[in-house]
Amino acid sequence: MSALLLMAPALLLLLAVFVWPLLDYAWLSLQAQSVFTGLEAVPVGTLNWQRLLVDGRFWQDAWQTLRFAAVSVGLELVAGLAIALLLHQRWRGRGVVRSLALLPWALPTTVMALGWRWIFNDPYGPINGLLQLLGLATLPFLAAPELAWLATVVADVWKTTPFVALLLLAGLQMIPGDLYEAFALEGGTPWQGLWRITVPLLRPYIFIVLLFRLAQALGVFDLIAVLTGGGPASSTESLAVYAYLNAMRFLDFGYSATVMLGMFLLLLAGAGGLLLWRRQTEVRA
Amino acid sequence: MTNTSDPAKATATATASEHSTATSLRLEGLCRRIGGRAILDGINLEVAAGECLALLGPSGCGKSTVLRVIAGLDPCDGGRILLDGRDISEQKPARRRVAMVFQSYALYPHLSVERNLSLGMELRGVGPEQRERELVAVLELLQLSALRRRRPAQLSGGQRQRVALARALLRKPRLMLLDEPMSNLDAQLREELRPQLRAILRGGRAPAIYVTHDQQEAMGIADRIAVLQEGRLQQCGTPQELYHQPANLFVAGFIGRPQINLLPQGDGTVVGIRPEHLRAVGEGGLAVQVLSREWHGASQLLLLESAQGPLRWTCDGNQTLGDDLRLGWERRHEHRFRQAGGERC
Repeated sequence: MSALLLMAPALLLLLAVFVWPLLDYAWLSLQAQSVFTGLEAVPVGTLNWQRLLVDGRFWQDAWQTLRFAAVSVGLELVAGLAIALLLHQRWRGRGVVRSLALLPWALPTTVMALGWRWIFNDPYGPINGLLQLLGLATLPFLAAPELAWLATVVADVWKTTPFVALLLLAGLQMIPGDLYEAFALEGGTPWQGLWRITVPLLRPYIFIVLLFRLAQALGVFDLIAVLTGGGPASSTESLAVYAYLNAMRFLDFGYSATVMLGMFLLLLAGAGGLLLWRRQTEVRA
Repeated sequence: MTNTSDPAKATATATASEHSTATSLRLEGLCRRIGGRAILDGINLEVAAGECLALLGPSGCGKSTVLRVIAGLDPCDGGRILLDGRDISEQKPARRRVAMVFQSYALYPHLSVERNLSLGMELRGVGPEQRERELVAVLELLQLSALRRRRPAQLSGGQRQRVALARALLRKPRLMLLDEPMSNLDAQLREELRPQLRAILRGGRAPAIYVTHDQQEAMGIADRIAVLQEGRLQQCGTPQELYHQPANLFVAGFIGRPQINLLPQGDGTVVGIRPEHLRAVGEGGLAVQVLSREWHGASQLLLLESAQGPLRWTCDGNQTLGDDLRLGWERRHEHRFRQAGGERC
């Protein structure tokens, strides 16, 4: 009894900020609450869910979100590992560079997204300025679907690679140096050491990085909202942006809640898959 | 300085290292500097094929650095490392074909015992059948067969040490380096493992260098001992030579437990006499008073006060002590050193 009492504050907090909104959304997803109902909640059963299943834009956005998360997190993992390896070596000025490397991560996303919007501006941004200097035509970075998607990936990789690098650097520092010395004496090259020692021993850290970063990237909102607004022609729209538009632009709160929940269920499935994969690899290794 | 070498005992026993070629190692003026400070200052040593040399010294004397420089893990800032007459000091670590047992054992924590052992052979391009054959042989030799699927974390300290040794043997090294391989084991296990380790090192024909700060271990395992202090070689010889003919005050004080008694004389020399060589005498000798006494069973250690300073005396555990205790020693047991410089007269 006293155990329950002691846990009560934490449980109440969880109920208030996590379980209650979820239940509220579940309830809302079974209502029609939009301009057509005078913003009153009217029970409509599973109508919103039926709409979700056949909503091309929802599935299109789900695919775009997944693609964005997979590509940017993949790139961040590779670049982050490379930077972590570099920062793990001993060289002059390493301490300064280690602190500087974290700057992009410390910047608020909105600020850096505004920065990138200017960098990608057509025709006045620095990149197009450079292209012009080289005698090339300017590119409509934020106005062409594929280029705009690339722009969101570049901005996301720029911002979050330092975070990945920092986590992996912490992991690298946990690996005893004499393992590499023993490995070298046995005839292993540094490149072989990376695959035979570093990557396997970093596995728990890579897992944490994937968990954090995939959760963040699959729920991406601020970067896309500021950089492209989901455009052009909703080609960079993520599920979170779509849910936001439903609520705030189309004033369809019932369906917005359904989109949110749909996204939540997809995330849950993804996280479950990741956990299962981890457990299996652990047993095997 | 004495510098004798035991004849190589290259008995070809059926061990995993039977294919290792007999080699000899020679260090000529080996130097290592870090930031202008000499960590190793002109080390000259020779180790014959099949011989085990112990590098002995207090912590920080540079003994591990000697191993690291020989292995190529630290750069050689001067002098030559001759393996079978060829200078290897510029070669990459992998090319030198030396094996090292690390103090921490440096086992790959994510790999099972068998994977730990076969990884090196894999890297060197040994075929799967031969890998398995050699693996089975070395597991057998070191009594690890039942543990081959365990991870290092699931092994005891002694078992880990054996895996590290097995890995070194599988390298078929031209030279075996061991960096305090027993320091993480408890005293009893150390004593148990000593004869085993000695047999295995003798079984391989490669010379072995064994770093330790424990003189008992050095005496128990090595054919010869090199005593190092502050990056300089103090003396190299058999355990008997180091005990009976210490080259200087440092070696005299470092080798032998309890520590040797050093009695400064008026003429600028110091007389050294080991606690076990003092005798109770009726007449003459030094008059002493007993300050304290440690009883060790068969023997006892007495701390005494004399006109020439404090003395340690190891005597029979049953010896009764009279009131008027006087101690003397035979001349042949006396060591004499110069006070300045400390070398033997």
